[in-house]
Amino acid sequence: MQIFPRSLNKLPQMVAVASVLGLVAVTGVIWYYFSPWFTQVGYTPKQPVPYSHRLHAGQLGIDCRYCHVNVERAPLAMVPPTETCMNCHQVVKTDSAALQPIRDSWSTGKAMEWVRIHKLPDYVYFDHSVHVTAGVGCIECHGRVDQMETVRMEKPLSMGWCIECHRDVKANQGDSAHIRPVAQITNMEYVKDGHVDPPRTLNPPDNCWGCHR
Amino acid sequence: MSKRAPYAALPPAVDAKPEFAPGHVDTPPSEEAIYLSRRGLLGAMAATAALVGAEGCRRPVEKIVPYARMPEDVIPGVPAHYATVLQRRGDALGLILESHEGRPTKVEGNESHAASLGGADLVTQATILELYDPERSTTPLQGGAAASCADFDAALTAKLAAYDKDGLQGAKLRVLMPPTVSPTVLRMRAALAQRFPKARVHTWSAVADSNIREGARAAFGKPMTPVNLLDRARVVLSLDSDFLQTESGAVRAGKGFAAARRLRSARESMNRLYVVEPARTVTGNMADHRLRLPAGDVERYAYSLAAELAKQGVSLGPEVQASVGKRASADGIPPKWLTAVATDLSRNRGRALVVVGARQPAAVHALAHAINAGLGAVNATITYSSVADPDELDVATDLKALTDAIAAKQVDGLVILGGNPVLDAPADLGFAAKLATVAFSVHASLFVDETSVKCTWHVPRAHEFESWGDAQSLDGTIAVQQPLIAPLYGGRNDIELLAQLANAPERAAHDAVRSTANGLLLATRMMSACSAPDDMGTLQCTDSQGAATPVHLADLDREWNRALAAGVLQRAQARQASPPVNAVAVAVAIDGHKPPARGQGTFEVTFAPCPKMGDGRHANNTWLQELPDPVTKLVWDNAAILSPASAKELGVENKDFVKISAGERSITAAVWIIPGQADHSVALTLGWGRTKAGRIGNGRGFDAYPLRTTDTLGFASGVTVSKTGDEPYFFAQTQENDSAGGRPIAHEATLAEYQKKPNFAELDSPPPRALPLWEQVDYSGKGHQWGMSVDLNACTGCGACVIACMSENNIPVVGKREVWRGREMHWIRIDRYYVEKAEIGATEDNPAVVSEPLMCVHCEEAPCENVCPVNATTHGPEGLNEMAYNRCIGTRYCANNCPYKVRKFNYLNWHNDSVWKDTGGLPESLSMQQNPNVTVRFRGVMEKCTYCIQRIQSAKIKAKRELRDLRDGEIRTACQQTCPSDAIVFGDVNDTNTAVSRAVRTDRRFGLLAEIGTRPRTTYLGKVRNPNPEMA
Repeated sequence: MQIFPRSLNKLPQMVAVASVLGLVAVTGVIWYYFSPWFTQVGYTPKQPVPYSHRLHAGQLGIDCRYCHVNVERAPLAMVPPTETCMNCHQVVKTDSAALQPIRDSWSTGKAMEWVRIHKLPDYVYFDHSVHVTAGVGCIECHGRVDQMETVRMEKPLSMGWCIECHRDVKANQGDSAHIRPVAQITNMEYVKDGHVDPPRTLNPPDNCWGCHR
Repeated sequence: MSKRAPYAALPPAVDAKPEFAPGHVDTPPSEEAIYLSRRGLLGAMAATAALVGAEGCRRPVEKIVPYARMPEDVIPGVPAHYATVLQRRGDALGLILESHEGRPTKVEGNESHAASLGGADLVTQATILELYDPERSTTPLQGGAAASCADFDAALTAKLAAYDKDGLQGAKLRVLMPPTVSPTVLRMRAALAQRFPKARVHTWSAVADSNIREGARAAFGKPMTPVNLLDRARVVLSLDSDFLQTESGAVRAGKGFAAARRLRSARESMNRLYVVEPARTVTGNMADHRLRLPAGDVERYAYSLAAELAKQGVSLGPEVQASVGKRASADGIPPKWLTAVATDLSRNRGRALVVVGARQPAAVHALAHAINAGLGAVNATITYSSVADPDELDVATDLKALTDAIAAKQVDGLVILGGNPVLDAPADLGFAAKLATVAFSVHASLFVDETSVKCTWHVPRAHEFESWGDAQSLDGTIAVQQPLIAPLYGGRNDIELLAQLANAPERAAHDAVRSTANGLLLATRMMSACSAPDDMGTLQCTDSQGAATPVHLADLDREWNRALAAGVLQRAQARQASPPVNAVAVAVAIDGHKPPARGQGTFEVTFAPCPKMGDGRHANNTWLQELPDPVTKLVWDNAAILSPASAKELGVENKDFVKISAGERSITAAVWIIPGQADHSVALTLGWGRTKAGRIGNGRGFDAYPLRTTDTLGFASGVTVSKTGDEPYFFAQTQENDSAGGRPIAHEATLAEYQKKPNFAELDSPPPRALPLWEQVDYSGKGHQWGMSVDLNACTGCGACVIACMSENNIPVVGKREVWRGREMHWIRIDRYYVEKAEIGATEDNPAVVSEPLMCVHCEEAPCENVCPVNATTHGPEGLNEMAYNRCIGTRYCANNCPYKVRKFNYLNWHNDSVWKDTGGLPESLSMQQNPNVTVRFRGVMEKCTYCIQRIQSAKIKAKRELRDLRDGEIRTACQQTCPSDAIVFGDVNDTNTAVSRAVRTDRRFGLLAEIGTRPRTTYLGKVRNPNPEMA
């Protein structure tokens, strides 16, 4: 008596094919989720106004904190209100077509809608102020913004990437490559030379509730 | 302020669904009714998979929308705090509100305000949800149809113009509003009297302090507000007074009472509380000796006790002694409750206090003033302050005057500011029918409620957090009510409506409040008769010497700004000499008091404000609905409370329906049996069984108002109660075991036992027998180690912490059925255990109570951490048991392994899929209340108390930024912050100087279930009772 139907003869081949396909799929998934494609490194969306950080922060040398005023005292560095643009552009380039949305926003009171580039998941509670006052420069996470015509995402901002720095700083304190004098926070040209005395004992969290709550 | 479009709200709910009507059999639904069918689930999964394939590769583009013009003082991501004040019954609580980018999210008490001292009660905590209630009224209604504000203003102006012309000086205009403590509202009422000298303002509130007021009027010749200084009282006798929860001034009373009860060591002594009451209350639960006595007999007890006190040499005045002698009768009162209590009170002269509940007749209040004077309590344990509104009458009399005037056709215009008289007016007045005969009636209210639909006009009323105002607390502290947000639904506020009626020059509430404040500030400087400011902003005033003195507006501005920042405009006046008690008048009051006629029945029914719903105004608040009642632990309902003996006599059990009849009026309600309830007394809380509260509040519980008449506002004697035989009702309760079953859970001792054995609590829970699973971590010298201490001696079980936690931590409500399934999401619960103990007189009929708040205790040897397959719950370096939601896969192993049962699982996406399911998920306005610093948890993850990690982190970050160490007390958890009895202390246990370290070192400490070796971070301090040996 035949217990197994004939069609089952194909089973070993099917299993073999399926396991190869499965392996490929798993590899693909892992490869994708660890790649910059997933973390969107290099994401350079078009903004409503072609604001050039290269011009403003680079050539003109405007300090980051002129616009991102809250970076030292709040979780959000803050994208500046239209008001900040108009501080200068009421007198500079008043007829530029590119600046029309800014002038519209100023006259109507309707907010600008910039496209978010650096996006952390909602369950991550990142605080700019505590990083900046510890001596972590803007460049550490945002790259050479002063050389970017359009801002792009430079670093993966993934959890592994965060933790790597946290552990390094915890272990090496002022000797960590990520730590600079607080006065040099916004200096894009700063080159670290030897030990830096951090303003306080650096104890970046590496436990869950350090960032998730 | 620019006008803005009203916020889009939900349409008002239809009338109460019949499925909630009393008598309806509400059986738990079948599984299929709630969950997706299998086919539906598979379909949804397939669709999800397809969507993932199509959309998953690119994250959605997100916009950053900064301000166009930055508002002053806003730092995005950093909450701002503003001081304001909220009227609570006859008192006003100073508050600090947290606001995230202009959206208030959390209420906290104001430490510099005398009525709050940093604490806030549960209703105040929940008020923030009411602000965002999507069912609030959004538009004026004329005869039920939507109308515009302009229509309303035109109609009102025309009506008022007619009164101006008819030469009757407004005699046909009446205003009805709840008693107020706002100086500006009173000023506007005076302005109204100027325009219409014959118009009358009536005051009515279903829950008022009229008896207290009339009692003081009898004793002192003028109304005074008693302010109990419980922190100084060593012996307190409460006569049917729930001074720790539902009476006016409960927060301050709670703080004082806890202070007098706190034991730092076995060498200290504590206060003693006697409570005589018909129905269990939070205050009765705290009693060292509790006598259950029908409310109608409390009066007799008071007379008998006064007679006994007089016998023991306490001078009450000969007239009073004669009066009480006539009416004293110890029938049914245990003799020790007279002799021993009187001895204890008279032995503690100057440190004793008698407190009487607001529902007891004025004569008892008058007698209590005489007793307190005789005990030397005046200015020692009680002071008297002047009332906010000296012209206020007894509310029932005042409302009757209004209905009589309507019946006599003397009223053709009635403006009702707040309140809900159609629901809560005494049944014998026939208010609703009479209101219908008034030609022009206006009801200003937050919701389109029972009264709104019976009036010709309804206008939306602004919430207290949306409008300017001011309020005077019991002790006389005056504070400014500062709006946190522009009216969401374009509501009017009382001051502006009164100003409109009075045609006052200051039409904006801000200007009116400002000028009241200026008047008060000038009065403090003894300035009077000030001129209008000149061009330089200088007023010419006359000082107390009669000399002309200039006052600069800039100085007043500065003081005003300071008052806004501090939350206190004027502190209470220095203690005034209390007027002497007029013994003759007290005797007259006692002799003249005739209890209302008894009915034929053998039962009594008592009415008390619900600790959650108040008089019914909070019925549409999901947090309050889902909060377990402090006594019954029922959610989403009230019940007719019976004693076990009475229930047996009636042949009813829990959930059975009874018919309660007082004369021809009757209601049916389902029974809940509570040991400690007086026999032959049925307790009903007010504010339930609403029909026009909204989707949440409609048809919940049983309406007691139909039984309540002008004579029986507090309680009615001689009612009949009978079993109806209907199918039992469906109740949901959060705690079904009333006893700890003899296990060492909530440790307690008497004061004598404590003094003999100071570490009784720890000795009662044996050390763990099992060896620890892991290597023990030595935390000494390793930075912060968080810990908490909960003092069972202070905890009253009121429930404010539960609401504070919901508000801070975005905790969803799940609805009655899901609570019945045991799925409530509260991170903190208050276990209430009955204790029978002969030496404190706690018997099966009248057990004592111990309340034990329980949240995640953050075990060092956490059983939950050991079983999580994905490391979603781990141990942090600061001793916290951490829960990473985004890692949780929902196996629920941790909850099953938690011996404290404090982990809560999101079986559904509760925010959307429970109570708001029918309206398409959580309304947008309610999501505005949520704390942006706490993740809103989704279906399928476990959650639990975090020790308010967001507060820890933000304080730590602030300290790091400022390059300093954390200060003790800088981090306060939400439950600790609001606790009206300071029962919870949180802080760093690694630092020996912190408050929590001191508490943890106290000899009464014990770790809950420490015997199983979990090494909890939250420890408790055992409860100590202070029974009077002479009562045994």
